[in-house]
Parts: sequence; structure tokens; C-alpha cells
Amino acid sequence: MAAESASIEIASGRARLARGGLVGWAVLIYVFLFSPIVLLILLSFNKNRYGTFPITGWTLHWFTTIANSPDLQSAIKTSLRVALEVTLISAVVGTSAAFTLVRSRLRFRTAFRIAFTLPIMIPGVLIGVSLLSFLRQGLGLQLSTTTVVIGQSVYTTPFVLLIVASRLEGFDRSLERAASDLGANALRRFRHVILPLIGPAVFAGALFAFTLSLDEFVITFFIIGAQITLPIYIYTQIKFGITPSINAVATLLIVISLGITALGLVIPRILRTMIRRVRGRRAQQLQAVSPAASEPA
Amino acid sequence: MAQYTGFAPAMVLFGLFFAAPMALIVAYSFWTQNGYQVVSQWTTANYQQVFSTSVYVNTFLTTLWMTAAATAVTLAVAFPFAYWLARYVSRRWQRPLLFLVILPFWVSYLLRVTSWVIVLGNHGALSRLLGLVGLSTPSWLLYDRPAVIFVLVYLYFPFAALTLFAALERFDWRQLHAAMDLGATQARAFRQVMLPQIKPGITTAVIFVFIPILGEYLTPELVGGTRGVMIGNLVDNFFQEAQYAEGAAIAILIAAVVVVLLVIFRKSLEVRGEMYGG
Repeated sequence: MAAESASIEIASGRARLARGGLVGWAVLIYVFLFSPIVLLILLSFNKNRYGTFPITGWTLHWFTTIANSPDLQSAIKTSLRVALEVTLISAVVGTSAAFTLVRSRLRFRTAFRIAFTLPIMIPGVLIGVSLLSFLRQGLGLQLSTTTVVIGQSVYTTPFVLLIVASRLEGFDRSLERAASDLGANALRRFRHVILPLIGPAVFAGALFAFTLSLDEFVITFFIIGAQITLPIYIYTQIKFGITPSINAVATLLIVISLGITALGLVIPRILRTMIRRVRGRRAQQLQAVSPAASEPA
Repeated sequence: MAQYTGFAPAMVLFGLFFAAPMALIVAYSFWTQNGYQVVSQWTTANYQQVFSTSVYVNTFLTTLWMTAAATAVTLAVAFPFAYWLARYVSRRWQRPLLFLVILPFWVSYLLRVTSWVIVLGNHGALSRLLGLVGLSTPSWLLYDRPAVIFVLVYLYFPFAALTLFAALERFDWRQLHAAMDLGATQARAFRQVMLPQIKPGITTAVIFVFIPILGEYLTPELVGGTRGVMIGNLVDNFFQEAQYAEGAAIAILIAAVVVVLLVIFRKSLEVRGEMYGG
């Protein structure tokens, strides 16, 4: 389709000009999208003590300041702990809700779906202030990492739910029925049929929740206690001005987030091929026993 | 009833920590502030206070036009890009190029704003670079509304690009040629053949960009200065100072705009279902 329209349009010079303009625009956009991030990373290796231009030489010094800052290390630890707890909660809650949403033939399914995805649609500032009021004034709780875990889970769980639900929707239920016909009980059906099929989606959702939690600022800002997470630490620092150490911390956080994302893209794929291979081997074994029991991949 | 058991954890999480807090905020906006506490005496004083204080009203109106402007610019920037990607890029390259657009999303939101503080801020990269060639930075680029709008466009561009691309990808470009063969000018073919078909995509893009921008407080806080303040910052200030009742009233105003938008656009989403045959 694209090739067909292209061949017609190249005939006219004006169209070619327009097309060249569009390419130029796209290039500009990619520059626009990446330049501030690249700049931030570059400046974290800059010798200049003011964390800005000009670049006076290259150093790893600012990264070693991370190792010497107890505040920063405690913030990193808090962030990781919160992210782990948030991941666990959203994986369990999101997956179980996704199952119910897709599987049961209940009424108001659309209403439930909208209700459960509302926390993504509502601006974070509203979730933040409402949770602050509710936890402090309503429940009389002290703000702590627990309140942060709760607040972030409200925001991350819908993502897990959506990811797992979309996987479940493309799921061939006859596989489960077949397993049931062959005498597998609910537990075995879950272990041998459902889990291998949705496992990668749950894993991807969990990783997504982890990254979101690690980066979360908007909601956390309102319900954080004395023990702060890394984004909040960065924020309190940049309020006083950019320092090269902050550039280094930011670079670190960028590398971690992108690293986890890369894992999230690669690992489910590896899991899927592994499962397919195991299943293929099993099918071969079955075929060796009785040629009729061949199983399509 | 048993089939609902899977919802139980979600009901607890969302019921207790999303629905109940939202309900409380609604109640707070109608309750009375007493020192640092809110007492359950019903009143409309909070809203009256908000609507009769010109600073608040002005901030609300400014926020609305800034949000509208940022949304318009984002879509205007994203449309030619999405058009190029959908029409002129071969299928093999579309996915990787689209992936590159989403990649900045994986960098923390706070850091994406921060990176612009490094560029635009006092003694930032831009003022240094302009200084090298003997220019001083125009003041509106630092700590003013244009800076806020600029950074907002940066933050929400991927939303718009993705949605517009999804709409344009489904469009059959041969229809344009058909229309032009039948005597339509290019502009008319765009307007009468392409536009109606991609309109739902444009609407979705508007929703995805407008709603989150409306609640922004970090971007104005970091690059907006005193003139760039948005309604989210007001809410933030009220709650930081424990003025929950008035803060809640302003928060509810934002929520009201969001709900109204969602209701309006819900209809256009239904239209979309019909258009593509479900």
C-alpha cells in the first residue's frame, strides 16, 4: 500500500518536497525526544563542578559521590523495597482481577473494567491528595513507606490487570477443557495449562509495575513519610539547584529503568520459546508412544 | 457470587484506597475547615471562597487555556510525524521507529522534567550556549508559561503520536487517490475523505493529552516560575498547608472537568465502534 502510493506521488516534485519536509520533521522530533536525556547523561560525566555546560573534561567522580552519601543510599534501598512490595501486591491483585474480568460471564463487566482502570485515567495529583486526606485524617495513620506502597499499588495494579487480561482474552479455552476431559483437576489445569500460557504476561506486568513504582513521583510526593524514595530525594535536591551528583543519580536511575524494561521485553519472549520447546519435546514423546496424539504447537 | 471472588483483593485495594479517598475529598469540599482539621459541617463556603478569589479563578482559567494550548501544539507536532510514519515508512521500520518514540517513557517522569530544567534553567545548557554566541536567553524561555507548555509538549508527545498513528495506520491511502481521480483537490480529499475516518483517533489523542496535563503540578513547579503556576500547584499548596477543605474544592473542580470530558468523549468512542464495524 505504502509502496503503491509512493510510486504515484514521487512523480510530482511538490509531493517529493512535502515528503522530504516530513522526513526532516521526524528527524527533528527524534532529536527533541532524546536530546535532554542524552544531555543529562553526558553532564553526569562532566568534570565541571556546577553540573552544567561547558564540558571541562570527563570524570566518574560524581558516581563515587553516590557511594559516599548515606542519604542517597537509604533512598535507593527504600525505593527498591517499596518497588518489590508494590510489584507483589499488583501482580497478585491484578492477575486475580483480570481472571475474574475475562472469565466470568458476569453482568456489569464493562463497568468493572472502567472502574478498575480509573486510577490510570485520573490525574495523579487527585489520587495523591485524596489518599493523603484519607490516610491521615480518615484513618489517622502516620505517613510511612507502607502508605507509599498502598498509594503506588493503586496506580500500578490497573496496568498489570490490563496486560494479563489482554493475554487471557486471546487464550484458547478449549485447551483447558481438553485438560479437564483428560482428568486434570483444577490445580493441575492451573499449573500445566494456564500458568505456562499467562506466566509471561504476569511476569511482564510485574516488571512493568516494578519500573513504574521505582519512578513514581506524583502520588508518592503527597504520602511519603520521613523515609524517602529515590525520586523524592532527587526532587528535594533539584529544588536547591542542579548538582553533578544529581546528574549522576539521575543517570543511574535511567540506566536501571531502561535495563529493567529491556529485561521485560526480552524475558517473556525467552520464557515463551522455552515453554514452546518443552511442550514440543513432550509432544514428540507422546507421538513416539502413539502417533495419533500429536499436538499442534 | 463465587465468580466474583477473584475481584475481592481488587475491591479491597480500589474500594478502600481509591474510591473511599475520592469520596472523602468530595465530602471535604463541602465540609468546614477548622484550623488544621476538617469538621463534618456541611457548607458551600469552600466553593464560594474559591470562586470569589480572583487569583484562584484566574489560575483556573489560565490552566484551562495552557492545557488547551499544550494539547493543540502536541497534536500539531505529532500529526505530521504520525502521518509520515503511517504513510511513507515501510512496515518493517514502523515498529522500531515507534518503539523509539515510546522509549523516553521508560525514563522517569521526574527526570524527563528535570532534564529540561538542566537545559532551560538558570545557568542551564541553553543560556550557556546562547551566551557563547553573545546572546542572552529570552526571559519567556525560563520560568514562564511558554517554558511550561514546551515541556508539556515534550512529556505528552508520545501519547499523541501513538494514538494518531494507530488511527492513520488503518486508513486506506488509495481512498485519497480515488477522491482525487474523481476531481477532488488534495485539500478536499484530506478534509472529506481522510479526516472523518481518523477523527475518533484525534479525539482519543486529545483525551490522552488534555486530561493528564490538566492535573500537572511538577512541570509548572520546576520550569514555570511564578507566572507558570497551574491549578495542580494550588491544590498542592493547600494540602501542604493542611487547608484540606478549600484544596478539596479545587481538586473537585479538576475532577469535574475530567469527568465531563470523559462523558463527552465516551460518546465519540461509541461512534468509533460503529465506524469500524465494531
